Amino acid sequence: MHTTAVAHEHHAEHPSGIWRWITTTNHKDIGTLYLCFSLLMFFVGGLFAMLIRAELFEPGMQLMDPAFFNEMTTLHGLVMIFGAIMPAFVGLANWMIPMMIGAPDMALPRMNNWSFWILPFAFTLLLSTMFMPGGGPAAGWTMYAPLMLQTGMALPFTIFAVHLLGISSVMGAINIIATVLNLRAPGMSLLKMPLFVWTWLITAYLLIAVMPVLAGAVTMELMDKYFGTSFFNAAGGGDPVLYQHVFWFFGHPEVYVMILPAFGIISEIIPTFSRKPLFGYTSMVYAVASIAFLSFIVWAHHMFTVGMPLAADLFFMFSTMLIAVPTGVKVFNWVATMWRGSLSFETPMLFAIAFVFLFTIGGFSGVMLALVPADWQYHQTYFVVAHFHYVLVTGAAFAIMAGVYYWLPKWTGHMYNETLGKWHFWLTAISANLLYFPMHFLGLAGMPRRIPDYPVQFTDLNQIVSIGGFVFGASQLIFLYVIIQCIRGGKKAEARAWDGAHGLEWTLPSPPPYHSFTEPPPAKLIWTHPYTGE
Amino acid sequence: MVDKKQFKALCKVLAATLALVSSAAFSMDLNMPVGVTPTSHEVYDLHMYVFWVCVGIGVVVFSLMIISIIWHRKAAGHKAAHFHDNTALEVIWTIVPVIILVALAIPAAKVLVNMTNTSDPDMNVMIEGYQWKWQYNYLQDGFSYFSNLAADSNAASQLGSKINPDSVPHYLRDVDHPMVVPVGKKIRLLITSADVIHSWYVPDFAVKVDAIPGFINQGWIEIDKPGTYRGGCTELCGRGHAFMPVVVVAESPSDYAKWVAAMKASNGAYIDPATMQPEHNGSPVVYATPLLNINAGNSAQLEPAAAVLPATASKAPAATAKPASGKPVAAEKNLTMASAMKLGKQVFDSNCAACHMADGKGNAEIGAPAIAGGPIPNGPLAAHIALVLHGKGIMPAWGARLSDMQLAAVITFERNAFGNHQGDVVQPTQIRAAR
Repeated sequence: MHTTAVAHEHHAEHPSGIWRWITTTNHKDIGTLYLCFSLLMFFVGGLFAMLIRAELFEPGMQLMDPAFFNEMTTLHGLVMIFGAIMPAFVGLANWMIPMMIGAPDMALPRMNNWSFWILPFAFTLLLSTMFMPGGGPAAGWTMYAPLMLQTGMALPFTIFAVHLLGISSVMGAINIIATVLNLRAPGMSLLKMPLFVWTWLITAYLLIAVMPVLAGAVTMELMDKYFGTSFFNAAGGGDPVLYQHVFWFFGHPEVYVMILPAFGIISEIIPTFSRKPLFGYTSMVYAVASIAFLSFIVWAHHMFTVGMPLAADLFFMFSTMLIAVPTGVKVFNWVATMWRGSLSFETPMLFAIAFVFLFTIGGFSGVMLALVPADWQYHQTYFVVAHFHYVLVTGAAFAIMAGVYYWLPKWTGHMYNETLGKWHFWLTAISANLLYFPMHFLGLAGMPRRIPDYPVQFTDLNQIVSIGGFVFGASQLIFLYVIIQCIRGGKKAEARAWDGAHGLEWTLPSPPPYHSFTEPPPAKLIWTHPYTGE
Repeated sequence: MVDKKQFKALCKVLAATLALVSSAAFSMDLNMPVGVTPTSHEVYDLHMYVFWVCVGIGVVVFSLMIISIIWHRKAAGHKAAHFHDNTALEVIWTIVPVIILVALAIPAAKVLVNMTNTSDPDMNVMIEGYQWKWQYNYLQDGFSYFSNLAADSNAASQLGSKINPDSVPHYLRDVDHPMVVPVGKKIRLLITSADVIHSWYVPDFAVKVDAIPGFINQGWIEIDKPGTYRGGCTELCGRGHAFMPVVVVAESPSDYAKWVAAMKASNGAYIDPATMQPEHNGSPVVYATPLLNINAGNSAQLEPAAAVLPATASKAPAATAKPASGKPVAAEKNLTMASAMKLGKQVFDSNCAACHMADGKGNAEIGAPAIAGGPIPNGPLAAHIALVLHGKGIMPAWGARLSDMQLAAVITFERNAFGNHQGDVVQPTQIRAAR
């Protein structure tokens, strides 16, 4: 095959040193770049969170001006979403999708290089705004007009950074779709694809659909600020709420961009450590597809208090509640996969089980938030902060950590230090609950979010939350250490690093060759489960 | 089978236990307040209902997981089964959640319909959000005023203030001029904003309505019992987002009517309902302190001073008040130094102290210069008036927000307080001429 020959040529001549990383078109190198970048951003965003929690440790302003606090909440959100969670998933997709579908590389390798290397520039732009006159963006990661229009010099920089992030995501998504649809090994029909591939395929469509919408929303802000338009200015015939509608038309599918690949990872890990095939594979695929569809018709549940007509409130309440059905199906399927399995609890499985427990708690508060009358009490309080950190940290981030522990032996050829991995897990899981659970109570008691200072009755719980936050932050240093240690050496990992693992990636040696499958894998390897032989 | 009544009783017992535990361990309640409006009661019941439904589902799902974690361990020698499909089971766990959701959606929709029904109110109050304060406009009675963070909270909340917030009563939950409303009346709130989006929130009312510039949103309250209810802004609105609390004082309709009458007679000064003696035994109220002795100025809708008298006030319910549009052109009354300083201090504390500080020393952090010994209050009068009227940089243009009387008073105050001794008394006519 022609591609095979080309691949071999490249293999022989790829440069070494820094140029290897700058010019690379290899899916594993680019995956590694994405993952390292995401880890760096996880610590940058985490640093912002530590500053937030330090200021909130007691009432009164101790450390920073309220305006700087607002910059911290804004940048924490933007960095964690666009810098940590999304690139981590793209990195995992780059590493795993070609190996999972029996392809040599991604379909569009040069574009792959570009879509990664945009990111460091985008974040340099974004983070440099902190040092500009007037400070960085401080209107929250949602960048609501008209408040966002009060930003100083940082506004165009922030908006161009968002544009770049959007371009990067869309290119990544195009690449994933092209790879999944064109480069599957013979015999790998769509309904034989691993769930991680399925969830990413659907996620990629979501990204292509919504990232341009975000770009449009922020461009309209740019126009309002510098070109005299009045999209969001009522005095000029516009409507500030229009921004929210456009933003959340992007924003809600974006939420699923950050959770669907997590579903995929969990659906790989739980069967492996249960030593049992995934329960209800087909219904899992349909559940993901229905969640993706529903994500387009629920956006206004982020804005129940803006004064929509009753009919709109009712529609968005009912459509939002519907999401609980396919999400429930997924949780029940994971539980049924564990049921009567032969469970062992290595670090990836611990994170996966914690994911199911804690994501479900985030799901419950999601159902509560869907009820409009109750939402009027919960909205914009710490109850919401608790909700979305349960789904994004103990949900998405836990799934990423589970995936990293699960595939580290494959990537590096070494087993990671299991003892340290367990320490990391337990410290992370306990501190995350110390950090996020009391936020429910703070919200119910009426503490608004995004405030740098609070009435004194909220002090006790805020101190518990802050302590949880500091422990959570410090625990991630163990994660960093385990990864570095595993890259540098350790017990040799076998091709099938986990005895219960199935899927094509485990048929390649650990670490895998530079080009994954230079020849299509034998058809009998596809979808042969190590336990059932099916 | 537990019927609905028993279920509700059970919920109440559990909620009470939770409240008891929480108040023992923490200085706050851990649950949503039951509140004091019909809406807040309904919302609380809905919240507890959906909470226990979630707890129920959680118990079932998590128990199955825990059982599986304990029994189906490889370490315990459990051999894996091989099943990976069961259509009947999958249909069941799709249908059952749908039924549960319908059972949640119906009561939620009912409450929502009630909450959004703002028709037939007994009175209207317009609430306008500003960076960073609220303005309450009593449309039917023709007066309005700003409500700012209380000065002691403001001082304590400054970076490095060295004031312990614990020592400040109702830290960040207290204002200079609370909103005052009667109990037992359906009050429609018309909520809007002058600059960015704010959100007016009082947990005890279960009302959270976004204040959107250029649009008027609606909400309604009907408060059960007199009291002081506290909340704040819940939509990020910039630097002062945490520092624009909402305080609502709910009074009996008769006390409320007296307050309205006093407000209408006060020439733009705020009458603190707390300084008006409450009607303990039905005897007429006598004011302990005389109201500011300025006759109707240019705040056109003012009633003659006679309306201040309590006997008249109690007989003058809100409904008989003159509409704001009927602007009688009252004779311009001159300010004396004493009256200007008194009104001026009130205006200053409400509007200027947030940045220039209550002691007039300014706030260098945000670029607000000192009034005490400052060049503007001790410089030419015309420049001082122009700056206050038209603003400059972060200094807002107060011409649109304050009356001539209030502006004259506050400028006089600034020139003669905090150690400044210019000695001039600015008159409303001078402000009008400078506009």
